[in-house]
Amino acid sequence: MIEDDFYRASSQFRLWSFTEASLHSLRSETNATASDRVRAALRRAREARQSTASSAAGTPSAEDTTTAGGDQQPHNIECLTAEEEQQLIRYYCEQIIELGERYKPPLPTIVRATAIQYFRRFYLTNSPMAYHPKTIMPCALFLATKTDNYYLSLRQFAETFPGDATADDIIAPEFLVMQSLRFTFDVRHPFRGLEGGVMELQAIAQGIAHPAPHAPQQTPDDLRRDLLALPSPPPPAVQSSSITDRLARAHHNTRETLKAAAQITDAYFLYTPAQIWLAAFLIADRPMAEFYLSSKLGMPGQEEEEQGGGGAGNPLYELRTKMFATVNKCADLLQSYTPLASDPEQKKNLRAIGKKLYHCQNPEKANISGQKRIPAAAAAAAAAVSSGGDPGTSESEIERLAKKRKLEGSKKDLFGGDLVMQRTKENQADEQ
Amino acid sequence: MAVSPLISRSPSATASSSNAAMKLKKVATQSSLNGPEIAPSPLSMQNSDRELTEQLNDDVRHKYIKDKKLGEGTYAVVFLGHLRSEPSSFVAIKKIKVNAEYKDGLSMDAIREVKYLQELAHPNIIALHDVFSSKDKNLSLVLEYLPLGDLEMLIKDANIHYGVADIKAWMGMLTRGVWFCHENFVLHRDIKPNNLLIASDGEVKLADFGLARSFADPYLNMTHQVITRWYRPPELLYGARQYSGVVDVWSIGMVFAELILRVPFVAGSSDLDQISKICEAFGTPTEANWPGVTKLPNYLAPDNNHMVPLQGREFFLRQFPTVGAVGADLLMSMCALDPRKRSSACQILQHGWWLTEPKPTNKENLPRKSGGTKKMGDDLTRRGGEVDDTPFKNAARQLDFNAMR
Repeated sequence: MIEDDFYRASSQFRLWSFTEASLHSLRSETNATASDRVRAALRRAREARQSTASSAAGTPSAEDTTTAGGDQQPHNIECLTAEEEQQLIRYYCEQIIELGERYKPPLPTIVRATAIQYFRRFYLTNSPMAYHPKTIMPCALFLATKTDNYYLSLRQFAETFPGDATADDIIAPEFLVMQSLRFTFDVRHPFRGLEGGVMELQAIAQGIAHPAPHAPQQTPDDLRRDLLALPSPPPPAVQSSSITDRLARAHHNTRETLKAAAQITDAYFLYTPAQIWLAAFLIADRPMAEFYLSSKLGMPGQEEEEQGGGGAGNPLYELRTKMFATVNKCADLLQSYTPLASDPEQKKNLRAIGKKLYHCQNPEKANISGQKRIPAAAAAAAAAVSSGGDPGTSESEIERLAKKRKLEGSKKDLFGGDLVMQRTKENQADEQ
Repeated sequence: MAVSPLISRSPSATASSSNAAMKLKKVATQSSLNGPEIAPSPLSMQNSDRELTEQLNDDVRHKYIKDKKLGEGTYAVVFLGHLRSEPSSFVAIKKIKVNAEYKDGLSMDAIREVKYLQELAHPNIIALHDVFSSKDKNLSLVLEYLPLGDLEMLIKDANIHYGVADIKAWMGMLTRGVWFCHENFVLHRDIKPNNLLIASDGEVKLADFGLARSFADPYLNMTHQVITRWYRPPELLYGARQYSGVVDVWSIGMVFAELILRVPFVAGSSDLDQISKICEAFGTPTEANWPGVTKLPNYLAPDNNHMVPLQGREFFLRQFPTVGAVGADLLMSMCALDPRKRSSACQILQHGWWLTEPKPTNKENLPRKSGGTKKMGDDLTRRGGEVDDTPFKNAARQLDFNAMR
């Protein structure tokens, strides 16, 4: 087994890796379904209003069927587009990074990165129109503290969390989030790979590196000399600094890219952790990153000369070509990221999206506490009753939840969405 | 990938459609043109207004049928179950109980167990086929059904006779499972005979990942309150907060010794007693044989009148003669006090002992004992990675099995 095999067995590869096309169509699908549901839900709400307001106004249901297909209805609601959803999600991802700073000590980078990936994975199959990001984001962050061994009680977490969200509000969607994550909690990050690569480069700089298996004639001194002879990265690099400084700078800049751009773009969905850190490293110091890759895969042109131009047939050559292409593509993606704060145009746009969302939020999904774990309350109530304590509050709580559930249940019975039915069918056909 | 020992995550009957979540991807590329259309299950129809992931969850839940209860503890209830599509394919369904006292959502042990088992597919690690939630938001883990009990049961049963070849087979399977965890950067942190369950074909499976965690990044601290005391290495007893996979290797060594002796080798009655028993058995840690040991947080200076010299090969050979000189050498390499001198799981697998006679017994011919189903229920209902000093100390072990009789 090689490392690639281990990665292919990971849930990140099995469930959360996509091609650009499949990622795009999954999001369009999610957006389309959510939009249909929002329209249907708002129509139902309107119908309910109409039927109570004027029972003599004829047959609203017949009227409705004539307009259901067309978008010409005057009250027709404008839903978010998939792209608008993406911008909204991007904004909340940046919020996660910022929020992490509020804690004392700040939440570890890994916790924030995991939370962002949970959040992004959640919105692959859920739309912000169904579940508002402001309710999902805190829960994703708290879940990440638990799965990444950064223990914080919910109470402590809620205290620092800005806004008026209570501990109960924060934890309410936990089950929904876990279910959308398909109960996979492991996220493979590029940070560890970067640390390893930097350690290797430090060893080369100190002249204590091991030669690569493909170049046994190479000595540690050769490697060191090659590293020191590298051209400087393009400005604004400081000239005439030591190799240690240069490495430290590249290390730092790579980490910054991994902390933000790698999290907030689709990098994790499209590339492996190794490709991501190498791409970020390439942005930080291209000559050094290329040198590093060549130290693993041979210098460009090296074996063509040695083997009489047989470059194309050389497996290392092919591997390197393929790898450089992929890593460069990933670097382009990472460089396409611009933080919201630095872009007033984006900010303005975002405000408009927020306003739009206010109008197209699915009213039937608004109350996430319906997703609450009822047994917890039930157990507490049962305990209160059996211990002869005051059952008043707990019982009413239980009743409230029961009513809510009943209401939800009846909703389902009353309105079965045709579109969803079809989708279920398609899913199953697809499974074959 | 062709030679990798990866196994399918689902029981054989559903291997082709096993991963419900793969549908996430398929949805993206779906086309209703290909594949025969099948009628949606009544369940999906009922819940057709639900979100995609809820539908997937329902589909997973619908795949299994719960049969009888196998055991119940404070932490979980375990049921025997089977695939709806194939009644002969058994699974164990572990339903995590909601802990009314824990207000912070899903408990850490459940999260750890699910997190790591989702990533680890290996013949010597209990397979997690599926996870689903039920209507009341309870979490159910669909686990591989392992009907032949655990290694503890075999060690303790005086009617069962086994030899070096059998020990070699069990040790090989255990070490491969642990090696796989470490290759995936996962520390198990609770290896002991009753977490080593046995499948119907005799394969040993590492279970209970309630204390597992990923390797910490350099300089980050971890807790030292892990691993059941008799299997806990000296560095953890001394309070080390930074440690590696060799903590598990010490536990493997203790299981090895116990398999040979048929009693726990160093069974301390408290953490302090455990340290002194380890010193008596293997030697007193000193700066000479373990540089840095005196700097560990809970290090206790030994009584100068009771310094035991570091035990050499002769000691292991004398104590464990049945496994031969090479076997004693292997055990010694697992029991090095200084974690830096202890073998890694990978080094153990490369040891010469596996090549010496006798060859390991084929798993089908290993000694076995009936009544393992009950034992599995018992093992799986324990709170994940129970450590002696938790408030649940004995509660979970005193299981009421009257229900299943």
